[in-house]
Amino acid sequence: MSAAHERSEAGGPLLQVNDLSVDFAVDGFWVPAAKKLNYEVQGGKALAIVGESGSGKSASSMAILDLLPSNARIRGSVKLAGRELRGLRPDEMRKVRGADIAVIFQEPMTALNPVYTVGFQIIETLRTHFGITPSAARERALELLEMVELPDPLKAFNSYPHQLSGGQRQRAMIAQSISCDPKLLIADEPTTALDVTVQAEILDLMRDLRHRLNSAILLITHDMGVVADLADDIVVMRQGEIVERGTVAGVFANPTHPYTQQLLGAVPRIGVSDGEKIDTTAGLLADTTAIELAARAAAEDEARRATLGDPVLAFEQVAIEYPKRGRVPAFRAVDDANFAIYPGEVVGLVGESGSGKTTVGRAAIGLIPIAEGTARVVGHDISHANRQLLRKVHKDVGIVFQDPSSSLNPRLPIGQSIGEPMLLSGVAKGRALDARVEELLDAVELPRAYRNRYPHELSGGQKQRVGIARALSLKPKLLIADEPTSALDVSVQATVLELMRRLQAEMGFACLFISHDLAVVDTLSDRIIVMQHGKIVEQGATGQLLRNPQDPYTQRLIAAVPVPDPAEQRLRREARHALLAADKAAEQ
Amino acid sequence: MTIPLDPDFEPPAAPASEDDGVAVEKAGAQGISQGRLILRRFLKHKPALISIVLLVLIIGLAVSATGIGSIPGWWKWNYTQLLDPYNNGKPTLSLVPKWLGGEGIMLGEHPFGQNGVGKDYFAMVMRGTMNSAYIMFIIGFIAAFIGVVIGAISGYYRGWVDAVLMRITDVVIVIPVIVLGAVVGVAAGGLGPLFLAVLLGFVAWTGVARLVRAEFLSLREREFVEAARVAGASDARIIFKHILPNAMGVVIVATTLLIAAAIILETSLSFLGYGVQSPDVSLGKLISDNEAAFATKPWLFWWPAVFIVVLSLLVNFIGDGLRDAFDPRQKRVRIKKVKELPADLVVGSSIGTRAAVPEGAGRGGGSAVGRRQRPMDGENDENGDNDGSQA
Amino acid sequence: MLSYVLRRIGVSILILIAASLLMYVLVAWARDPLQDLYASSSPNKDNLIAQRIQWLNLDQPVLLRWLNWLGGAVQCVIPGGGCDLGVTITNQPVTILLGRAIGATLQLVTAATVLAIVLGVTIGIVSALRQYSAIDYTFTFASFFLYSLPSFLMGVLLKVFIALGFNDFLADPTITWPWIIALSLISGLFWQAILGGGRNKRLVVFAASLLTTCVMLWGISATHWLLDPSLGPILAPLLIAGVGAGMVVLVAGTHSKTAWRTGAVVAAVVIVLYFVSLPFLRGWGLAGIIGLFVVGIAAGIAAGLLLGQHDKGQAARIGALAAALGVAVIVLDQYMRTWNSYVTNPRINGRPIATVGSATPTLKGDFWIHSTDTFTHLLLPTISLMLISFAGYTRYARGGMLEVLNQDYIRTARAKGLPERTVVVRHAFRNSLIPITTIVAADVGGLIGGAIITERIFAFSGMGALFNSGLQAGDPNPVMAYFIVIAIFAITFNFLADLAYSALDPRVRAK
Repeated sequence: MSAAHERSEAGGPLLQVNDLSVDFAVDGFWVPAAKKLNYEVQGGKALAIVGESGSGKSASSMAILDLLPSNARIRGSVKLAGRELRGLRPDEMRKVRGADIAVIFQEPMTALNPVYTVGFQIIETLRTHFGITPSAARERALELLEMVELPDPLKAFNSYPHQLSGGQRQRAMIAQSISCDPKLLIADEPTTALDVTVQAEILDLMRDLRHRLNSAILLITHDMGVVADLADDIVVMRQGEIVERGTVAGVFANPTHPYTQQLLGAVPRIGVSDGEKIDTTAGLLADTTAIELAARAAAEDEARRATLGDPVLAFEQVAIEYPKRGRVPAFRAVDDANFAIYPGEVVGLVGESGSGKTTVGRAAIGLIPIAEGTARVVGHDISHANRQLLRKVHKDVGIVFQDPSSSLNPRLPIGQSIGEPMLLSGVAKGRALDARVEELLDAVELPRAYRNRYPHELSGGQKQRVGIARALSLKPKLLIADEPTSALDVSVQATVLELMRRLQAEMGFACLFISHDLAVVDTLSDRIIVMQHGKIVEQGATGQLLRNPQDPYTQRLIAAVPVPDPAEQRLRREARHALLAADKAAEQ
Repeated sequence: MTIPLDPDFEPPAAPASEDDGVAVEKAGAQGISQGRLILRRFLKHKPALISIVLLVLIIGLAVSATGIGSIPGWWKWNYTQLLDPYNNGKPTLSLVPKWLGGEGIMLGEHPFGQNGVGKDYFAMVMRGTMNSAYIMFIIGFIAAFIGVVIGAISGYYRGWVDAVLMRITDVVIVIPVIVLGAVVGVAAGGLGPLFLAVLLGFVAWTGVARLVRAEFLSLREREFVEAARVAGASDARIIFKHILPNAMGVVIVATTLLIAAAIILETSLSFLGYGVQSPDVSLGKLISDNEAAFATKPWLFWWPAVFIVVLSLLVNFIGDGLRDAFDPRQKRVRIKKVKELPADLVVGSSIGTRAAVPEGAGRGGGSAVGRRQRPMDGENDENGDNDGSQA
Repeated sequence: MLSYVLRRIGVSILILIAASLLMYVLVAWARDPLQDLYASSSPNKDNLIAQRIQWLNLDQPVLLRWLNWLGGAVQCVIPGGGCDLGVTITNQPVTILLGRAIGATLQLVTAATVLAIVLGVTIGIVSALRQYSAIDYTFTFASFFLYSLPSFLMGVLLKVFIALGFNDFLADPTITWPWIIALSLISGLFWQAILGGGRNKRLVVFAASLLTTCVMLWGISATHWLLDPSLGPILAPLLIAGVGAGMVVLVAGTHSKTAWRTGAVVAAVVIVLYFVSLPFLRGWGLAGIIGLFVVGIAAGIAAGLLLGQHDKGQAARIGALAAALGVAVIVLDQYMRTWNSYVTNPRINGRPIATVGSATPTLKGDFWIHSTDTFTHLLLPTISLMLISFAGYTRYARGGMLEVLNQDYIRTARAKGLPERTVVVRHAFRNSLIPITTIVAADVGGLIGGAIITERIFAFSGMGALFNSGLQAGDPNPVMAYFIVIAIFAITFNFLADLAYSALDPRVRAK
């Protein structure tokens, strides 16, 4: 079964794409998604195709295997090891799919069939391409599951997709894809849906497998850090066209096209903010300079805080529970949370999924009740809050939500959405209200005329600006930002973050900035709080936390964040491996 | 580090219409609300449009011919007069014009013929149609109203209110509508079609209630509802200004389909003898009365049958059109008829909205980065460990 | 799991009790059981009234009467207790009437339900797979149209046209040329649309089905086949073989040699069975049919296991299906041979399609004659009952399938290189069963209620008739008996639907 892997002809590229164009029929017109693309993938190497949404990277890659819906038109040539794939008969194409070229999809929860076990789905692939007995296929499947480093291959084999965690599912998906030893792996945003620590592990796995199996990888992603970690070559796409290509090292060091420059510039890098560069890698290696700098940063932060007076938000031993609903038992989402935010401070709250960070944010504004402990917000004790108390609190606290498409009422013009808090608290109405709304629109850099537009007429970034305007309409003392940029493209994210930074500097509100992305958080924050599984594992000044993280989880988290610089990324990788090895040794 | 704001970077103003992707720049201070978009989509749905026109015409014909209350209709006979047989009771309606060799287009003395005792059938059918029409609308609206109220309260407040209301709904659902309708019909029987319609309305609301409850349950978790709560909105404001308008689509479609079902319910009940009673007329009763006469006097059967079918079909078409307007599905792509994009049409696929120029093959991956939704801690996961914990 | 089941049952019982109260009160309010007596001019009117009051406890308040009824009804569920559902207006115990009525209605409803589901789901799925094609539009429009029709209209139309029409046709069963050509054309268009494929394939399919239909129809007409039909020693084996081939292609596709071998062997076995049983089957009756099925399916599974090589499961499935359908052909042939003696039976007199009742009274004959009789009596009511719900199921199935086909895992299945047939059957169909099952199972409960109209049109003395006559007279107990039966059915089917859902969808199972 471990068929000897055929090398592509020496000298020729494994995958050759020439003048590939993809159009979609929309409203009676052919709308281009990709225009005359030309690129090559060498055997055994990894090519990254990078772009934001609308760039056509996914559509053009799915076109290679003819996996597009029926309203798509594909033109051009795609050659695999010299053999033309366009125009193949359906049954010939089926032989190529899965066996010569395999795909790893983005969201394994939906990409795997929920009603069949993982093992069955892998066996199915094997038996379609090789005429082997069920027991031989089962053996091979277990081998594969072990190869992808699943802790209990037999259990995973018999599990349904929903019974595995996100990372395990993706490993299973990878096992399925490599089962027939494909020459080329197309990985479509393979780690986008995963937490950052899991992402690092999956990237490790993919790199490892690539070396072992010598498959080429076509990596589609928007994340520059992932590119720096995994890819050898890079192609940058924008609105259907390739704007730049080259080796990763070359392009990252010297981007020539303005779009690439902008893109690289917009990517938030961990440790880089306001001109000051914090060397987080050094921090992981317990460098002495780093420790000194960390101590100094901590001291400065203390000094700053001492001058600020009473905290705007203070949690003491707070526990938050989701009450028992029907048959679902009560779930303690946050336990023993202790932290404080002072006026004018920006505090970043970081954690992966299930960490409880969102819960903390919502509890701080009173949307979720507090089960234990004391919580004080803008001078009120909300530990046992009722509606009237919360109404007072809401006059001084604003919240920005994550998903721009669901945070605005689709039926209301955005002017009304922005004005609602002011209207309901009696601050203004009628003409005065309109004037205030227009001021806010100015502040978030949207044209005043947009007041009468509806959410579906705005882009994601614009909608998020509206959300910010609404949150700031009552001039709050505290702004809670719940993953405000996670659903936005990188470049748009950069502009929105810049906006928030500027507004915070101007208006002086304190901010609880919740995110799963350390790099984003660190550009804005004075302090960082790290949460895991409902508990705060570490908190401190940004300068201190990033240079000298104490808690092993924090260290792992920092180590896992990829940076868009191949050389540095390699160093970080090694540091991370050292860290993990040390952790394991400590456990034994 | 400051990130330069590049005006070219922010994509141009998103499409003014949600026509899936091909964004055409439209300068406009006045936005186009979703209501208008839906109306536009509905107006493009030809069968639905034609159905509305036809429906209005037919109901208009029926009402005007029969007259309302004390205002007489334009037709000379009414449905109670016993007349002498004319032309052996056969229909005198003629549609073949004289110049084609027929008798000319005319209604004649009794266009739909006469029944066994000499009543003018046209008048009877018109009266039956009128009754059926207004019964079905009354049932529809009453049932929809009750359904929306119950569904909304149930879905919004959840907890024990939801449990109680849903159990009550279950009790009513257990009994098939036609059974309830029959019993109610027997009770209401002689009191006239209006009373019957109202009572039937009290019986037919369960489907709408369930649908509305489901909509409310999902809408109330949306972030704009949380934002409204933070803004200080009361429960009533949230329900009426925020959630209900967004649930309207479901309500309208469900009501229309309910009306279509109501007409079938009423005619079936009348057929069985539990609906509209003599001397008043119902299309269903006309069919049951004249079942046996089929061999000798087929027109007694066909005319009411045609009207029942037509009414039902028309309302169903309208319901279909409404459903397509609120929830547009992919239309058929005639590949041969697709044209190349003219150069002057500005195309900008907007970030963050659902583009039909998909990022991921065929999936709505156009929404920017496609990050997973923040998991509602504890909500989706069986074991309490969410995605991404140590693999 | 057990606690879940118990809790569901508990809640259902409470709902039933509440619903029964609602029903009882409504019926009591609707009509006074003494109404006809008040209007009567009989001399001992007062005596009759008093007697009826005594029989039905009409002097007691409504709630008390309901409690009495409830007490009696509950005993039906408790094992060992007597079952007292009260008496009718004429002092007959309801339980006896109910027993007879349930049998008749069940016969009617079961066939209709099964047919509606099978046909509806199949057509819906085929429609979804051929989305936007001519056949899709036809089916969609047809189901839309049928869905808008009231069921009584359908029933009356069937009664009048099909029954009269077919019985008349049977007197002289020739098919005129215009009809032959028209039907052949339709058949050709139909098959080429269903099977799809490229231009050449479609032309071939069109031509082949056109010719076959043409020849068939001409043959039927010329030989007056419909008067004394049978499949004969040529057609029957052909059909058995064809059915076997169909199963092979459906389950395993055209390329699997082991599948073909299994199919061939099983077909041969069934053909042998056919010839062997031919002289005896008439005498064996029901036992013979069952025996044939058992033998056939056993042989099919055995053949599959023996010949299956490395896919024994699939081969066994093919063997069983092919054998079952093959035996069905044998049974069908036998019924065809009985047809003539049925039609010429003095009680039937050349008009076989019946429109009244569930059986011909005083009909003499063996098992085959009687079952044919049941068939002809059930035919029209079943079609009538089935057509409306079938339209609904087609739409649900189509919708469910379309939704599934848009899912990510279908794209993954294609990306893995699975043949399209596997993608559709194993991945798409299996997942679409989840929403379809829930809706269908919930709907079935209501089908029983719909029989009221059909039973009235075709004069079936089933539960619907019980309800009708009871309600007209204001007689509460038969109406309550009807209610309790359908309510229990509805609740049971809902419950089964939930169980099916959790069986089909592993995500729901973890309770």
